[in-house]
Amino acid sequence: MTRVFVSRDMASVALGADDLAQAFARAGCEVVRTGGRGLFAIEPLVEVETSEGRIAYGPVGPRDAAAVLDGTHANRVGVTAEHPFFARQQRFTFARCGVIDPLSLADYAEHGGWKGLEAAFRLSPQEVVDAVKASGLRGRGGAGFPTGIKWQTVRDAEADEKFIVCNADEGDSGTFADRMLMEGDPYCLIEGMAIAGHAVGAGHGYIYIRSEYPFAVRTMRDAVARSAGRIAPFTLEVRVGAGAYVCGEETALLDSIEGKRGQVRAKPPLPAIEGLFGKPTVINNVLSLAAVPFILSEGAEAYAEVGFGRSRGTMPVQIAGNVRNGGLCEIGFGVTLGELVNEIGGGTASGRPVRAVQVGGPLGAYFPPAMFHLPFDYEAFAAAGGLIGHAGITVFDDTVDMARMARFAMEFCAVESCGKCTPCRIGSTRGVELIDRIVAGAPRGAGMLEIMPQMRNARTAARTQDEEIALLRDLCDTMKFGSLCALGGFTPYPVLSALDHFPEDFGGASALPEAAE
Amino acid sequence: MTFTREKDFGTPEAMGAAVSLTIDGQEVSVPAGTSIMRAAAMVDTAIPKLCATDSLESFGSCRLCLVEVEGRSGYPASCTTPVAPGMAVRTQSDRLRKLRRGVMELYISDHPLDCLTCGANGDCELQDMAGAVGLRDVRFGYEGENHLEGCKDESNPYFTFDPTKCIVCSRCVRACDETQGTLALTVDGRGFASGISASQDESFLSSECVSCGACVQACPTSALIEKTVIEIGTPDRAVVTTCAYCGVGCTFRAEMRGEELVRMVPWKEGKANHGHSCVKGRFAWGYAQHRDRILNPMMRGSVDEPWREVSWEAAIARVASEFRRLQKEHGARAIGGITSSRCTNEETFLVQKLVRQGFGNNNVDTCARVCHSPTGYGLKTTFGTSAGTQDFDSVRHADVILVIGANPTDGHPVFASRMKKRLREGAKLIVVDPRRIDMVRSPHIEAAFHLPLRPGTNVAVLTAMAHVIVTEGLVNETYVRERCDTDAYAEWAEFVSEPARSPEAVEDLTGVPAADLRAAARLYATGGNAAIYYGLGVTEHSQGSSTVMAIANLAMATGNVGKDGVGVNPLRGQNNVQGACDMGSFPHELSGYRHVSDSAARSLFERDWGVSLDPEPGLRIPNMLDAATDGAFKGIFIQGEDILQSDPNTTHVAAGLAAMECVVVQDLFLNETANYAHVFLPGSTFLEKDGTFTNAERRIQRVRKVMEPKNGYADWEVVQLVAHAMGLDWNYTHPSQIMDEIARLTPTFAGVNYAVLDQRGSLQWPVNAAAPEGTPTMHIDHFVRGKGNFVVTDYVPTDERTGPRFPLLLTTGRILSQYNVGAQTRRTANVEWHEEDRLEIHPHDAENRGIRDGNWVSLRSRAGETTLRAKITDRVAPGVVYTTFHHPDTQANVITTDFSDWATNCPEYKVTAVQVMPSNGPSDWQRSYRAQAEASRRIEPAEPAE
Amino acid sequence: MMSNDQRLVHMAGQILRNFAAQGREEAIAATAEHLTLFWAPRMKARAIAMLEEPGAELPEEVRAAFAALRHPA
Repeated sequence: MTRVFVSRDMASVALGADDLAQAFARAGCEVVRTGGRGLFAIEPLVEVETSEGRIAYGPVGPRDAAAVLDGTHANRVGVTAEHPFFARQQRFTFARCGVIDPLSLADYAEHGGWKGLEAAFRLSPQEVVDAVKASGLRGRGGAGFPTGIKWQTVRDAEADEKFIVCNADEGDSGTFADRMLMEGDPYCLIEGMAIAGHAVGAGHGYIYIRSEYPFAVRTMRDAVARSAGRIAPFTLEVRVGAGAYVCGEETALLDSIEGKRGQVRAKPPLPAIEGLFGKPTVINNVLSLAAVPFILSEGAEAYAEVGFGRSRGTMPVQIAGNVRNGGLCEIGFGVTLGELVNEIGGGTASGRPVRAVQVGGPLGAYFPPAMFHLPFDYEAFAAAGGLIGHAGITVFDDTVDMARMARFAMEFCAVESCGKCTPCRIGSTRGVELIDRIVAGAPRGAGMLEIMPQMRNARTAARTQDEEIALLRDLCDTMKFGSLCALGGFTPYPVLSALDHFPEDFGGASALPEAAE
Repeated sequence: MTFTREKDFGTPEAMGAAVSLTIDGQEVSVPAGTSIMRAAAMVDTAIPKLCATDSLESFGSCRLCLVEVEGRSGYPASCTTPVAPGMAVRTQSDRLRKLRRGVMELYISDHPLDCLTCGANGDCELQDMAGAVGLRDVRFGYEGENHLEGCKDESNPYFTFDPTKCIVCSRCVRACDETQGTLALTVDGRGFASGISASQDESFLSSECVSCGACVQACPTSALIEKTVIEIGTPDRAVVTTCAYCGVGCTFRAEMRGEELVRMVPWKEGKANHGHSCVKGRFAWGYAQHRDRILNPMMRGSVDEPWREVSWEAAIARVASEFRRLQKEHGARAIGGITSSRCTNEETFLVQKLVRQGFGNNNVDTCARVCHSPTGYGLKTTFGTSAGTQDFDSVRHADVILVIGANPTDGHPVFASRMKKRLREGAKLIVVDPRRIDMVRSPHIEAAFHLPLRPGTNVAVLTAMAHVIVTEGLVNETYVRERCDTDAYAEWAEFVSEPARSPEAVEDLTGVPAADLRAAARLYATGGNAAIYYGLGVTEHSQGSSTVMAIANLAMATGNVGKDGVGVNPLRGQNNVQGACDMGSFPHELSGYRHVSDSAARSLFERDWGVSLDPEPGLRIPNMLDAATDGAFKGIFIQGEDILQSDPNTTHVAAGLAAMECVVVQDLFLNETANYAHVFLPGSTFLEKDGTFTNAERRIQRVRKVMEPKNGYADWEVVQLVAHAMGLDWNYTHPSQIMDEIARLTPTFAGVNYAVLDQRGSLQWPVNAAAPEGTPTMHIDHFVRGKGNFVVTDYVPTDERTGPRFPLLLTTGRILSQYNVGAQTRRTANVEWHEEDRLEIHPHDAENRGIRDGNWVSLRSRAGETTLRAKITDRVAPGVVYTTFHHPDTQANVITTDFSDWATNCPEYKVTAVQVMPSNGPSDWQRSYRAQAEASRRIEPAEPAE
Repeated sequence: MMSNDQRLVHMAGQILRNFAAQGREEAIAATAEHLTLFWAPRMKARAIAMLEEPGAELPEEVRAAFAALRHPA
């Protein structure tokens, strides 16, 4: 019987993978449901097991089964791993994703699973922490804090109880790596968490998954149940969010697990010292924890060998937006932004020129093609006024209105703000109102109240466009340096980068020639 | 006196080792864990702030308090950033000024602008901060999205909530969570839509809010503000004084505008309450100005005549002449007096002095007779002194808390909040109570064990716990050997070890599952520091004293006396029960708990007072009433107590009073007892006099006069007038002189005087040469009596039995918003929470009787009958009914019997066999009493002057 | 309802029962001591007087405790 592989990943299913799988089952094939391979342009994708390896066809539909099986289908991709999109990748974390049946313990073990945990158990907890430090692994959630140092802090904290918390509240638009890993290789995350538990002396872990990821929730719950014996005495449970973006902020996430309103905590105390239920807590992103089994099984050097500057190892970059090859690309740090967008991403889907790329989710900075030489590296991006974040890249062509994108950032912040700190709570709403006025080219005249004779201190003269833009910059300054967490603190990145790189969209002087057309 | 606000350091005090840093170049040394904000405040560097206040943990939301720290990037919030050695902090720079102004600009873009007519004008932190950061222009304008359409919530009788003034700093929510522990408030919505919500978006009055006032106090603006401030304006002076409600003894700043009280604000320095309060002390002081208050002395020939207002001279003369006549005709012991636990130590001392010195007998008793007299007997017998062993702060170190016969969230709410805070931190709770009180399960608190015993079986339950501790080898042998009388221990241990005392053997009797009782006993004995807190559910039984001793036995056997975090702690019902007892109000004891038969003690007083004292104990209140019906007791001076409503078996009390020829009542109002009085002397409130109260932790605190007595005299002055009229040579010109006399005559008070009290804020007795700063924890190295005394406590069932005619057990208690007989709280807006007493009955018992929720029911016992409305709830077990006794219309004490504690005659309020039946109107007693009360309260209009 | 004399007898009986675990003689002695310390002269006098009154119904132990009282001044 012919074995075929069809993804069960949520994105693949959305594109029709379920129907495809049924069609191949009806055609008498043994259908193995795997995770997603990560290139959406060729989904729905089916891979046929042959003597030359897995031969991929995509996109294909349920009616194409016969043509696929006899090898005549026009959308024959060939050996999957040799496709240019995959060939350049360095899949350390995502090695098994798309290859194995995610819930098969046998598949997992066959493909190198549990080797990291076994290696960890052969080491002392301190040696495990040392290995993670030596790998140079940094927090993949966005902040880029060295994972080993965080673990060391938790390990050194005295407490009767410690926790491992996995942040799987992947809320950035245009990001999906956490979801793909949880749906495609859940045991990898579980193994990483068990290693962390061993390293810091924690007995229990939580995986906090956003409610918008029902497939991941189901898969992780299933995987946790099936692997319970393998990771004992370490135990895990899955918690589901309730739709708040801010719960992806680590301290709000902890409050949410504790059953409270998801609201950001002030730091210090660091979660590593006083985290979940007041106990020392490792809180790491899915990708950080999932990188750990490789580090333990293949050695810290093997991981650290790849990378750029202080950014070591690989990053699962997620390319989305107006791009031809949208998908997941795990690659060593140091690849340039231009390579990611144009070579791996293949330029815009619309075929029009790229105008802007937003890196790091909805709170990341916009970069013009003039900056495509930037190497993918935490420090390089910070120096350029941006951030890597969770490594989401959203591509826009030349039809984009950057003032609207700036407004969107403020609006996003207003919608998702937890409401705790003032700059974010009020500032984001004022930001939306202000950008609306700027875009409309209608600077504020004195209000009804301000012209009342009882008001002696209010200015009665109208504000100029430049004053309004200056106010927007001041507001961004207040939010960036005054906000309690990254939501309010990073919202200025897209706004300021749009202002800096695309002033013409804000009715500034450089917009004039276009207007004269 | 000028008005100054209490300094706010922004964040709570820290306790770590000293850390040095510089703030704006100034060298500072503070405890590790201190925030930068607090460290700055300690050197009088004010960092702008809105969401921080030193009664709450730091929160970091307003972002006004940003500072610069050398070597650190960004602008950390000074409230959430702890100091570090060598840290160099800058609190002022151009960058900081710009950031702070930017934040303030956002606040004011969504805030009403009519400050001048705002209730908080002049007392608003937002206003202050706008000034501090120099905000001069709101460049966003005032026409953006805002919250200015919000509706004011005026449902709470004492404060308003105006969401338009709210800056969403969460101080109210955090105060409700951290300080009060009710968790009634929350932030609803998120982002710009965030707003404060009571419970599930309800009005404050209908929400779970208990109106403790913590949120109002925490609010930096006028979003939450006292209605009195809106009405009167901001205060212009403040006087620190002590609350006159329960035995917690909260201290308050009485904030005044002239002679008018604007508000009572809990004092942060107060060692009993640490800046917290409850609805009574904080808000329910309006009775002091109530129109029912009697301000002129009154007399009448007999109790069926109307009252006539007379001069003080005439009233006092009548009192003196009648008392002297009665003594001449019926003997020196034919009259007596009752001191009040509501009055000051000084006043109480004077009343007992009047009786002992002036009446020449020991017929003095106090309302503690009906509440904590068994505590006096029980703790004196076992430990050697009649008082709780700890201070309230001790609960911070308790690992196991056993609450028996107390309902702290209603009766002692401010201490309950402390207890709940400790429980939220992880201490374990055991509740022994027939009712499922709130402590059993409330937000973030759940008792490890609730032992719902049948009323009247306390001794059996506690002895069974002792059985488990002894037979399972959980006794702290070292402690018992070193600290206790080992013979007494051996006898006790043998007694409790008998199989008949086991939890299994008494399970049917007590109704407590044996397994739970065993587990609770193990937890108490092995869970670390274990502290017992108890109330009147322990004392008001026929075995009240035995129960107190059984509690003391448990504490000694497990080594839980003599250090922080443990102890035996009576929660005193009234503000000055402890003090009234200390002052020698009991008929058998002189001040400091010395028996009248002790000739050495007596001679001390005899020398000082120049008289010889009666060495025989006098009559207790119930004995006085018995003697009156026998015709042997003819006159009584009752200060500040309403025995007709508060004492058991009302008909018997009424008969006793009716049999007397001269009943003198001194009170604020024409209380129920005054219906039987011949002379009425108006009393003064705690706001109108100087003195001291002693709370449940033996803490002596000052009561300070904030306004002139509306009736003309403070109560101590009235007692002195009576004394003068009876020929005594008293010359007090200030209560401090009375305290000096108390100190002179009472070894445990030797070091107490007003100067030290003013300087130290409070003192816990004993205060003497050995402990000049007072004694927070007692029995540290040895018990006051030497060796701790184990007392065999055999369970003796009460004579009050259920049977076919009276199949249910009634137990009584009180509720948060009301206080005792309600004389004060019924004359405040607190009635909005509790208009009437209700009878709690289990659904099963209600069903059997065809009773629906809210129905009128008759409640009948062997002693009498009354009617009230039923409240069906499973808080009470089947077979048990419960009511409060705050309202004279109900007269719960018509039902209670005159059975009492074997050792002290403390009434058995907590167990009465009753029947409950549907009813459609008041009982005969209620009808006739109402008519009699109305007739008796008539006041004849004053004769026009010739 | 009890008469005042009955109440005195009842109270004494109650005190006796609470000391009963110590043994009969000890209980009587402890009760007499308790009455001496806490009862007013008038009550003690009635107790002693009742010993002589033929109509007074005194349980044996109560009688013994009353008999141990000294006449107060």
